[in-house]
Amino acid sequence: MTLTLRSQIINKVPLSERITGYKMDVKLDTNAKTVSGTMDAFWVNKTTDTVADIQMHLYMNAFRSNRTTFYKEFGGSPGNKESDLGWIEIKSFVNKNGINLIPRMQYIRPDDGNMEDNTVLKVLLPEPAKPGDTVFVKVNFETKLPKNARRTGYNDNFYFVGQWFPKFGVYEPAGMRYATIGSWNCHQFHDHSEFYADHSVYDVTITLPVDYVTGSGGMLISETASREQKTLIYRAEDIVDFAWTAWPGYTVFNDKWNNVNITLLIPKDRVSQVERQFTAIKHAMEYLNDYVGPYPWPYVTIADPPLKGSFSGGMEYTTIFTSVSSFFMPAFYHMPEMATVHEFGHAYFMGILASNEFEEPWLDEGVDTFWEERIMDHYYGNNSGMINTPLFKLSDKSSSRMPYIGSSGRQDVSNTEYSWNYPHGMYDIMSYFKTATWLYTLMGIIGEKTMNDAFREYYKKWAFKHPSGKDFVNVINEVVKREHGDRFGNDMNWFFDQTLYGSAVCDYKVSGISNRKYRKPDGKTDSVDTVINNWPKTDSLYTATAQLERIGDMMLPVEVLIHFTNGDEILENWDGKERFKDFTYTGYREIQWVKIDPEFKISMDVNYINNSMTEEPQRVPLHRLVNKILSFVQFYLSIMLL
Amino acid sequence: MKIFSSLKSGLCSAFRSWKCVLIVWFSLFLLVLVFIYPLRGSLSSAFGSSMITEKLTDGFNVEVFADLGSTLKSLTSFFTAGFILVYFIGFVMNSFLTAGLFGSVRKENRKFSAQEFLRSASKNFWSFLIITLIIDVIIYFISGLFLALPLTLVDLSDTISEKTIFTIIITAIVFYLLLLPVFLLVADYARAWRSANENESGFKAIGVGFNRTFKKFWSSYIMMALLILAQVTLGLVIIIIIPGWKPLSGGGIFLLLIISQLLLYARLLLKTWRYASVTSLMEETTKKIPKNINVIQDGQERINFASG
Repeated sequence: MTLTLRSQIINKVPLSERITGYKMDVKLDTNAKTVSGTMDAFWVNKTTDTVADIQMHLYMNAFRSNRTTFYKEFGGSPGNKESDLGWIEIKSFVNKNGINLIPRMQYIRPDDGNMEDNTVLKVLLPEPAKPGDTVFVKVNFETKLPKNARRTGYNDNFYFVGQWFPKFGVYEPAGMRYATIGSWNCHQFHDHSEFYADHSVYDVTITLPVDYVTGSGGMLISETASREQKTLIYRAEDIVDFAWTAWPGYTVFNDKWNNVNITLLIPKDRVSQVERQFTAIKHAMEYLNDYVGPYPWPYVTIADPPLKGSFSGGMEYTTIFTSVSSFFMPAFYHMPEMATVHEFGHAYFMGILASNEFEEPWLDEGVDTFWEERIMDHYYGNNSGMINTPLFKLSDKSSSRMPYIGSSGRQDVSNTEYSWNYPHGMYDIMSYFKTATWLYTLMGIIGEKTMNDAFREYYKKWAFKHPSGKDFVNVINEVVKREHGDRFGNDMNWFFDQTLYGSAVCDYKVSGISNRKYRKPDGKTDSVDTVINNWPKTDSLYTATAQLERIGDMMLPVEVLIHFTNGDEILENWDGKERFKDFTYTGYREIQWVKIDPEFKISMDVNYINNSMTEEPQRVPLHRLVNKILSFVQFYLSIMLL
Repeated sequence: MKIFSSLKSGLCSAFRSWKCVLIVWFSLFLLVLVFIYPLRGSLSSAFGSSMITEKLTDGFNVEVFADLGSTLKSLTSFFTAGFILVYFIGFVMNSFLTAGLFGSVRKENRKFSAQEFLRSASKNFWSFLIITLIIDVIIYFISGLFLALPLTLVDLSDTISEKTIFTIIITAIVFYLLLLPVFLLVADYARAWRSANENESGFKAIGVGFNRTFKKFWSSYIMMALLILAQVTLGLVIIIIIPGWKPLSGGGIFLLLIISQLLLYARLLLKTWRYASVTSLMEETTKKIPKNINVIQDGQERINFASG
């Protein structure tokens, strides 16, 4: 038995190594809520190791009961009824010689040893795979989709079919990422992570009722229909996962950006949202193309699930992703745009740059959030990327920094935990928000141009490979060195040690301003300040001091802007290392105000309020606010009290 | 025509009671100020000598407040607790002051007298408290019902479209808004009647309120709708002017205070117009009854115009 995949269709040259490939022929049973059929798949041993087994994800088993690792982490239950549950059943499993591999199958739990979790399958090969060998398998499987579950499944006649077929893990030889010996990297299905796979080729044939409108991560090659059923053949290349959706209620819209065909599947009620979705994805494509690298596929599909399919909203499968919108979504609230930009961004951060979401979620979600925020604030307003009303604006950047600085557990862990090891509530804070915040801080220190150059380099080096956090750090170090020499030291590790690998907090403070009359040398002095002594009017001379303090343990270089009463301004650079730092000046001027980090480059600073001090604080905006609160409360009372 | 004559007479009564309205405004102003003033002090102290307040020059900036950290949590607790307290004190105080207002807008009270205002307020306080409490409970119950019904409908159905959900919610809101004047009428009739019959109980007054509302339903309802429309219009003016106004100097802030308080005074005046119009309509519809005669209407209503 060999697996015959179609030759290159989408891109003339493969973008990734052909390590794995899948050919599937499946049927959706809308009564039984199952997807069943056959899968021919291969894995090529591109390493120098001899590998005795293969490991595959069987993620649908996460929805078998409330005792799986997924539900233990997530809480709740998939339900009691048979129709609520999800699972995947292997009906037959043979190798290229037709040897039955079912007796050689074993469920393993590499992450937590939970015996109720059957989401990883290990199959001992009849003969170990030598370097260069290709392992072919033919699997007959049935996937029961869970009802209204997280990310995948069905509700009524809506289907989002993700993580639905047996999928190879990643075999990591010694030296790849953090591997010290060759082994499979195949994690269980977790509440917070699901992506780490080789870029693959997919030939997928799907048969389903004729009235269903579908979309997938592949390109539609052909469609044939009988009276009741239709068969669609999809082809996908160089993607890490294949997902698809089907629902009779979708309306299809098409648009184009450069050579990329954009397909939008959206409930017909939401026609008013179509333009917003297309505009958002085009913005994301343009920005990421300019500052990271090209989007290499000629198509992308956005599925905007209906209310009953909202369990699948906001998910990413590289060439298909789900957005979040609704029939009534005010234009000032950029939530649908944000979701589209974020999920499309995953085509880069996880899709093209296929990092391990389980082990380094920050490299996936955090980096993507950073770019999402840059895109949103660039196109929708620097202060209004998220909300834009005349009275209230909110930038997307703020929506990361605020949860991070407001989190009481921000020092409990660093960014280096595996996704399931974060204490409750800290996964989002650390993986998304802290990462985006320190990336902004890094950009503030090394400059926007260097940051963009570093990401272009990261893309160039690691596209269609599996970068790790240290690879990302190395690229930053390399580009910073190339563009700035030793300006920031030998490398930027001092930054990453504190932000990525550390849990320290950054907080700088202006602790005081001191303007003292200059005291002429008097009495029995041993030295004479000749310069000042010769100044004509020493009675109006001042020794002015800006007193600064580092409250947090994090040490980052900061700029300090000092403004004098005569209008002079001095911009000082402080390496931020000392606990206390004074900047002292003598002259006919007093310090009027001092600002640390005047341009708010150091987003990691958890308190901007103490970053500045003035002799005459501006109270008008506060008084204005209080006046308005006063009027608001009175107005409210006058309405509510009969 | 009764509607317009009642509105006209109500408007005259409301203007005539401007001093009473001033008392109401001043009492509410003081109450809220007692709560807001410490907030102002806390905010000033929290921001200290920082220049971050510059970021508030263009309007509210949530990030500036987020940086307050634990101070923000304390301020939020203070604001929430203070707001609830002010609401409850305001509720009780409003019953007292409205009792005075209803007394002052009656036809026989043509001249303002603080003594009469306070006498009427203290005499009717408990009944007014009972009336507003019961009507408020009914309104909150109805609000909950109108909120819960569409949500339950939406929750129960997998096949319902978003457009339908939206239509259901909007319809529920419209029905609710259409229903609201009815309860305001009941409350106002009850209080107007109680004001004219100071020896009767608050519970009985609610009964009369319902009776009056449905007896002359359309004229009462249309009049109330017009009055609400006027109040909503002024409310919109307040919402447009106050939040968007961003004075940058101390003088500007003072002007903001003056204008906002004038608008709030106008709002209270319109509310008084509502009370006075309902009172007038009630007096209008019972005019035909000979003076100095106590009449039992429908076995429950006692009108006494002996002093009218």
